[in-house]
Amino acid sequence: MTGFLIRRFLGIATTLLLLSIFTFALSRTVPGGPWMQNAEIPQTPAQIEAFKIKYGLDQPLIIQYLVWLRNALTLDFGVPFTAPEQTVTSLILRALPYSALIGGLAALLAVVLGMALGMIAAARPNTWIDYAITLWSVVIGTIPSFVMGFVLVYIFAVKLRWFPTGGWGSARHIVLPVIAFGLPAVGGVARWTRQCMAEAMSSDYTRTAYAKGLREHTVMMRHVLRNAGIPMITQFLPLFPAMMTGSLFIEQVFGLPGLGKYFVLASTNRDYPLVLGITMFWALLISLTFLLSDVLYSLIDPRVRLGEKRS
Amino acid sequence: MTGNVITIQPSAPAAPPRSRGFWEGAWRRFRQNQLTIFGLVTVFAIVLIGLFAPQLAPYAYDTIQPSDALQGPSLAHPFGTDTLGRDMLSRIIYATRPMLIVGVVTQLVGVLIGAPLGLIAGYSGGVIDWLVTRLIDLFSALPWYLIVLYLVMVLSPSLQNLVLALTITSWVGSARIVRALTLATRERDYILAARLIGASPGRIMLRHVLPQVLPLLIWSFAVGIPVAIFAEAGLSFIGMGIRPPQPSWGQMLAEAGAYWQYSPHMVVFPSLMITLSVLAFQLLADGVREALDVRAG
Repeated sequence: MTGFLIRRFLGIATTLLLLSIFTFALSRTVPGGPWMQNAEIPQTPAQIEAFKIKYGLDQPLIIQYLVWLRNALTLDFGVPFTAPEQTVTSLILRALPYSALIGGLAALLAVVLGMALGMIAAARPNTWIDYAITLWSVVIGTIPSFVMGFVLVYIFAVKLRWFPTGGWGSARHIVLPVIAFGLPAVGGVARWTRQCMAEAMSSDYTRTAYAKGLREHTVMMRHVLRNAGIPMITQFLPLFPAMMTGSLFIEQVFGLPGLGKYFVLASTNRDYPLVLGITMFWALLISLTFLLSDVLYSLIDPRVRLGEKRS
Repeated sequence: MTGNVITIQPSAPAAPPRSRGFWEGAWRRFRQNQLTIFGLVTVFAIVLIGLFAPQLAPYAYDTIQPSDALQGPSLAHPFGTDTLGRDMLSRIIYATRPMLIVGVVTQLVGVLIGAPLGLIAGYSGGVIDWLVTRLIDLFSALPWYLIVLYLVMVLSPSLQNLVLALTITSWVGSARIVRALTLATRERDYILAARLIGASPGRIMLRHVLPQVLPLLIWSFAVGIPVAIFAEAGLSFIGMGIRPPQPSWGQMLAEAGAYWQYSPHMVVFPSLMITLSVLAFQLLADGVREALDVRAG
């Protein structure tokens, strides 16, 4: 186990290092930069030069990267070009709660509702209820979250006036973004749950369990769910960091100041320190979740031994 | 038949039932699913609309008529007009083109790059495999739309750059599944037999491994299209995709901006088109998966 963890952490570190080189090189090799953004305020060559010196952009690329890397190891990602009074880290930490709350609740909605629907469909295979749930899952899964956002806002905010159209403040502000973000994900969760359950239900141990006279409830809970749960966990756990890091689209529709919105802003403004900081933060979070789901996998499934060489 | 003297025996048994090959069975399963047929017909219709856009559209997509701005659906403008008085129906018809280009081209190129890469990495192992795996890891450590967004930002938004950026990420899926299946296939006895009789690695990969991974590849291609369509709509929606005045459904949603609460037609029709086309391609991909008996994972 320890060996496995060490190897995995080394793997994550390698990936992050490569990713940082890739992102860094890409951002510094394109022509133009943050100083060219504001066309209304013409800048003299001297001002641009001063800007470059201030942020160390006049140094050779490799030196720039090594300085960035040294600081990044202490979680110091520098100062955003567009908000010099803050640091990248403080900006991420300020935007994260919005994204984490909306995304976390949306992922929870998707997993709970999706698993419930998937189990109902799997328990009654090839009945009208199974077909209805499967069809609904496909259709709901193909609606982009921002389209869902428009539909929900129009019905529940503009026409019925139950919820505000956007913004932040009370619990009522959260409801529509969470549903708009979570509902399209329900479809995928339900379909995956149904597939895992169906596979477990058609296996020999389930037939044996029925044959020795166990009640349906016991078979479902003890045999089917425990076996079907393994592929489900590895599939659903990454949903949480993926959704908690925010949705560019949902945050755009509802005007929320989350991470996704900052990433779009940073991208359009060519704010390299901010883009790089958010990218690395995201990658770290996602890599750690993959690791966590592997560890959980081994805890649930005694057949899996971590540390054995896997292809 | 004139010069032929062979007599046909009337009692000859009917032609022996042809052995149903894998592809024939797949085609039969494909046809039988009504949802798949719905997807197929819809996709066919969308492709026709895209091909004949100039003939079908009642107006040009960029004719500005400020006096007609923000009209609801009428006989002259069945889908209404937008903030600049452009005909929504014509813009929606023309917008099928970038959608189809992005969806099909990015996935096709992705498969054409990803498959050989996965095949070579999985079959040869060693340093090449390590490099390709690292590359796959690199692209899997981030949500794909972030990489695409980042690339589009660097390259500046346009249809060409969107296609390029999506292609840079779309090979990852096919490379990963092809590599995994090649690793499993490599150890099979018939591969060993082929190697023993002196077949070259290239021949083994093309003639013995590729047919094994082909169903997976077709599915990977089909399932990537709705994702790419979604990406085009989403990126155009946040202003990082198709540039105006070229129309795109996602961009039309963004243009609805502050007006859409009073002119819902500006949101309704583009939304319906995005959802319908993603749904149609998704149903098609599901049909392909079931027909080819691909295990989704």
